[in-house]
Amino acid sequence: MRITLKVNGGTYTREVEGHRTLLRFLREDLGFTGTKEGCGAGECGACTVIMDGKTVNSCMVLALEADGANVETIEGEASAGKLSVIQEAFDRHHAVQCGYCTGGMIMSVRDLLHRNPKPSVEEIKEGIEGNFCRCTGYQQIIEAVLDASGQLGEGPGQVREGRLEHA
Amino acid sequence: MLHEFEYARPATRAELHELLARHGKAAKILAGGTDLLVNIRCGVSKPAIVIDIKKVRDLPVIAWNPKVGLVIGPGATINEVLAHPAVHDHFPLLSECGHDLASYQVRNRATVIGNVVNASPCSDMAPALLCLGAIAIVSSKRGEREVPFSEFFTGVKKTVLLDDEILERIVVPTASAGARGSYHKLKRINGHDLGIVGVALMKKEGVVALGISSAAPTPVLVEGIRETDAVEKAVAAARSATSPISDLRCSKEYREFMIEVFIRRLWAEVK
Ligand SMILES: Cc1cc2nc3c(=O)[nH]c(=O)nc-3n(C[C@@H](O)[C@@H](O)[C@H](O)COP(=O)(O)OP(=O)(O)OC[C@H]3O[C@@H](n4cnc5c(N)ncnc54)[C@H](O)[C@@H]3O)c2cc1C
Ligand code: FES
Ligand code: FES
Repeated sequence: MRITLKVNGGTYTREVEGHRTLLRFLREDLGFTGTKEGCGAGECGACTVIMDGKTVNSCMVLALEADGANVETIEGEASAGKLSVIQEAFDRHHAVQCGYCTGGMIMSVRDLLHRNPKPSVEEIKEGIEGNFCRCTGYQQIIEAVLDASGQLGEGPGQVREGRLEHA
Repeated sequence: MLHEFEYARPATRAELHELLARHGKAAKILAGGTDLLVNIRCGVSKPAIVIDIKKVRDLPVIAWNPKVGLVIGPGATINEVLAHPAVHDHFPLLSECGHDLASYQVRNRATVIGNVVNASPCSDMAPALLCLGAIAIVSSKRGEREVPFSEFFTGVKKTVLLDDEILERIVVPTASAGARGSYHKLKRINGHDLGIVGVALMKKEGVVALGISSAAPTPVLVEGIRETDAVEKAVAAARSATSPISDLRCSKEYREFMIEVFIRRLWAEVK
């Protein structure tokens, strides 16, 4: 079947087979390899993309189901060579180690901050519970999200509102 | 990798019924895909044709009609149900259970109907629907029939649905609106995880119902308890209605123990 969809603002029309997942389609047919496959079964969130405004695990979506959809991936996060606020915060707080989870993690964080611009530590944990990170221990990611949402003071490790102790 | 299958995207209920009548066992309905695509990937399910129902125009979505109740259609995702004002106002137990199901992005795709049709013993939506006296309305080319959820599950991953039937809508009756309730789910971690055991407790007009997951081949409904009874009666009724097993995740004894702990906590908590 032929599908047409938008990815990060660009329009793509391709012929796809019924059993191709959106994840494989993005990576192998369109070359958006920032979206990763970890488990392939909905557990790890490395494949998270935003489809029609909602985060989804692209390993559990068929490419055909994305016909007509608007898909956003990590490749659309920086614009004109400039990192987004979230990416800069991840960089500042060392919230990226191997980076395998980062593409999906940032999609979930972007969606969380869209729904809830000033999440508490507990809300951040819930927002990223579908995204596993095996490197950072999450602490740096939570700090980065607090920072990206303007909830940290000046300098690394500085906390406004004393939230980080509970992290 | 997924095996090769044909993909169909019917636009009407009649087309959907026709496809199911024609393909029977070889067909699988695709709603959110969070069970089906995982099962296909690991070879548990091998449909020749996958029928995506998300573009069917004339199937119900989610609506609150005080004359009938809360109607949940096949497309309604867990997050859509959680966000619905009527669920928030009248059926807090549905929110409690829905909130405990998987992760945020899985809940964006996973449907309530897919969850009950999948009929896992650890389904998180089943305990709420059982307690609330929900009814499944099942349809096919041959017509419609109603099945109360207390009769819907027949075994591990088995339901009363026949090969040509769809679960067209769930009706949570108005009589259950305003029921108080809560759900406790034991899992290994605080984040998203399948339940090791789960207990929902509902109280309405003096009557108490329990919905228990992961404690028998099917989710279990325990009825015939009143608010004026001692909690021991609920504990005993739950013990005779369930038959937990030991498996990878915990022992039979631990499940039995936690069911009792949860019932006692909920009994005090749900006022
Ligand atoms: C990582 C992960 C974590 C999870 N955690 C939990 C959890 O904590 N608790 C829990 O309860 N579940 C959990 N689940 C399972 C849960 O996501 C599913 O049960 C989901 O609700 C099924 O809905 P779906 O729309 O995705 O169904 P699908 O996968 O599309 O379908 C499921 C089954 O139902 C059939 N079907 C779907 N709709 C209909 C219909 N209208 N009529 C007839 N048949 C139909 C399909 O053919 C298929 O056999 C988890 C899943 C994943 C991947
Ligand atoms: S690869 Fe999709 S959730 Fe792990
Ligand atoms: S940085 Fe390695 S998994 Fe998160």
